[in-house]
Amino acid sequence: MIKEKFFVQEFENGLTLLAEQLDYVVSAAVVLAVPAGCSRDGDKLAGASTVMTEWLFRGAGGRNSRQLNDALDSLGCHREEGVRSLFVHFQASQTHQSLDPVLAIYGDILARPELADKTFDPCRNLVAQELAGLEDDPSRKCNLCLRERFYPRPLGASVLGSEESLKAMTSQVLRAHAKTHLTPRGSMLAVAGRFEWPALRDHVAEVFGGWRGGPLDELTLAAAQRGVCQESKATSQVQICLAYDAPRPQEEKLYYPMRVAEMALSGGMSGRLFSEVREKRGLVYSVGARYHGMKAAAGMFVYAGTTPEKAQQTLDVTVGELKRLGEGIDEDELVRAKTQLKSALIMQGESTAARANGLVGDWHLLGRLRGLEEVSSAIDAVTRQDVLECLAAYPARNITGCFLGPQALDTAALE
Amino acid sequence: MEFKLHQLDNGLTVIAELAPAAASMAVGFFARTGSRDETDDVHGVSHFLEHMVFKGTQRRTAADVNREFDDLGAAYNAFTSEEATVYYGAVLPEFQARLVDLLGDILRPSLRQEDFDVEKQVILEEIALYEDRPDFRLYEQLMLEYFNGHPLGHRVLGTVESIRNLSRQSMLEYFRRRYSPTNLIVVAAGNLDWDALVGQVTAACAGWEPVQTQRQYLDAPRRQEQRSIVDDKLVRQQVGLIGAGPSAQSPQRYAARLLGAILGDDTGSRLYYALVEPAIVEDVSVTYDPMDGLGAMLTMLTVDPERAGEAMEIVQREFGKLMAEGITAPELSAAKNKIASASVLRGELPMGRLSAVGFDWLYRHSYTPLAEQIEEMMAVRAEDVLEVARHFNLNEATIVSLGPKGMF
Repeated sequence: MIKEKFFVQEFENGLTLLAEQLDYVVSAAVVLAVPAGCSRDGDKLAGASTVMTEWLFRGAGGRNSRQLNDALDSLGCHREEGVRSLFVHFQASQTHQSLDPVLAIYGDILARPELADKTFDPCRNLVAQELAGLEDDPSRKCNLCLRERFYPRPLGASVLGSEESLKAMTSQVLRAHAKTHLTPRGSMLAVAGRFEWPALRDHVAEVFGGWRGGPLDELTLAAAQRGVCQESKATSQVQICLAYDAPRPQEEKLYYPMRVAEMALSGGMSGRLFSEVREKRGLVYSVGARYHGMKAAAGMFVYAGTTPEKAQQTLDVTVGELKRLGEGIDEDELVRAKTQLKSALIMQGESTAARANGLVGDWHLLGRLRGLEEVSSAIDAVTRQDVLECLAAYPARNITGCFLGPQALDTAALE
Repeated sequence: MEFKLHQLDNGLTVIAELAPAAASMAVGFFARTGSRDETDDVHGVSHFLEHMVFKGTQRRTAADVNREFDDLGAAYNAFTSEEATVYYGAVLPEFQARLVDLLGDILRPSLRQEDFDVEKQVILEEIALYEDRPDFRLYEQLMLEYFNGHPLGHRVLGTVESIRNLSRQSMLEYFRRRYSPTNLIVVAAGNLDWDALVGQVTAACAGWEPVQTQRQYLDAPRRQEQRSIVDDKLVRQQVGLIGAGPSAQSPQRYAARLLGAILGDDTGSRLYYALVEPAIVEDVSVTYDPMDGLGAMLTMLTVDPERAGEAMEIVQREFGKLMAEGITAPELSAAKNKIASASVLRGELPMGRLSAVGFDWLYRHSYTPLAEQIEEMMAVRAEDVLEVARHFNLNEATIVSLGPKGMF
């Protein structure tokens, strides 16, 4: 087992630095999670977090847009921004020699963004184009619809907002939104890979020390919409997207058994969905289930895509498997699921970016960092009885469904 | 990193790059065959066969194959391109022997008729899935138009008609013709036991009979067509350009990769600043696609239908400007740093090295350590990049548009 070295430092401005040192790699990956996710946008400013994230890279700390991008590029920084429900994730991967200067630039982006009027319109326009493009991407469209219906509002809000909200958005309003929401309070900065601890801590203190912001109000949640949505569209395949309740990550007694059940359902090609829907019946190319959890709610999300004449059978067989899972899993499935979960844990851990994301997830959801040993033992401890009890507490009932395709389906089985 | 090479008596080559500090190991069987090696009566057979390889052998049923991969906790899959079909898995080191036995066994599939019939339905579903993806349709159309009549224009998935008409017998013949041990390589990377690997591959594959295989090499037609496909069900316009580039064997390949990054990387690049930053298009990319004996430069963008013409003019103007004026030292250096760090990041994963080492051997019969590969790329000069752009003339291209509006 690899020896893990974790470090945590909370700064007085509210930023938490999470770090995992790995001496055998040459890279260092950064994930900066800022609590400005799309759940905070509100209906009027829907899409604000996505426009804001684009806008942040249009100049900061005295560099204009081009100088800023060129500076990151010339450091060999591979960056990716992800707007999520609660947080915006700024991910940056590079070799360890570039870590300090890259962090300094992100310090500028968060604490000293330009957010100039003249660069606002193109940012809004890019998001509006992406929103329009949803019409040409049925799978993404259907999945966004499902999240919106399934999660308590506003946790499932679309990252792309709406045509109206984007049209009405002004630079002034978005600047004010950014000022409140780009706050170090509740933000996490995770670094995984090669670094020296005291030097990293001091450097982060220096470049993010001037970043100021107050705490955000507690997010008020309203009941989820749930139910069924069927959208008619002349596509080649029918999109079938389903979700039902699952234990949240912090409910650890139920969480691990649910991950085991997820493997039995959809881990690899021997999973029940793949075997029954694709291998035995040839109904689909793509079918699967994956768990997605937040602090306030979690679900098992199921996807299948198939041509219209096979759609009803695909839905029926898929839902049949979700219900049959409630009868429990056999010993072979249990052993296999554990091996799969533990192998994936170790293999994903070879990527420094995946590790940095893991640090952020653990800290936010559990308030601590889990070592490989802890997760591994928790997986090993799961019994068939645990799985059965978990599935009794979270049965595949009252399934939320979104469908997109040329014809409507009979959804009685979802109840 | 230590490199190892061994050849079995039947011609099967085994290579490995050892990384003892890695947590996992990966093994791949790389077949030098793809849609360009298909005759006109069997379009899509390479990819269909890739699916059938997982459907069982004399020793294993399809369900056994899937279950055993999952018993090993493997991350595994396969893919088919115009020129290669690759089967791979990554596991913790303790499962090396079982993974090699499994991969070796499935590479001699039974191709049972009943499995063939069910899997045909899955392939037809896959074709339907991609019909709903305009970017994929554009790519397929670009290849078809540009390579018109050349085997590289064959659709990897085939068509609904070619798949419906395909028989098990023709697949069997294709398999016999293309899956000779002399046309395959076994590649491994990561924390692995080399001596054991040679023994395991020998046990699984020594009985394979070699046959003569060959690939047809034709010159690319290098067409300069303009084709507009109107589909009023679509909302956005997809436009693509495809022109010639150096081959996978050419020493100019590093310069071509840099040229692609300078022109069309998704963060700072010429087309990013000219098109995406001012929001004229939603996204644009320029990629260099090295192939066996030839190569291509591929540009693709997504745009409002009303602005498609304007966007294409800007693309062609930027290409012209680069060919006239060359590139600057800072943009060359930024592109180099991006590519170098991407290679390093990928190189930290055994799966990343598996792919790099496998294709290096498949295309060039060579092994280049990561550090050396980065050195060669770093040595490229601005004039080398310009030479590629001018020699292959970026603006001599086939253009295809797909969307609600006709363009040409």
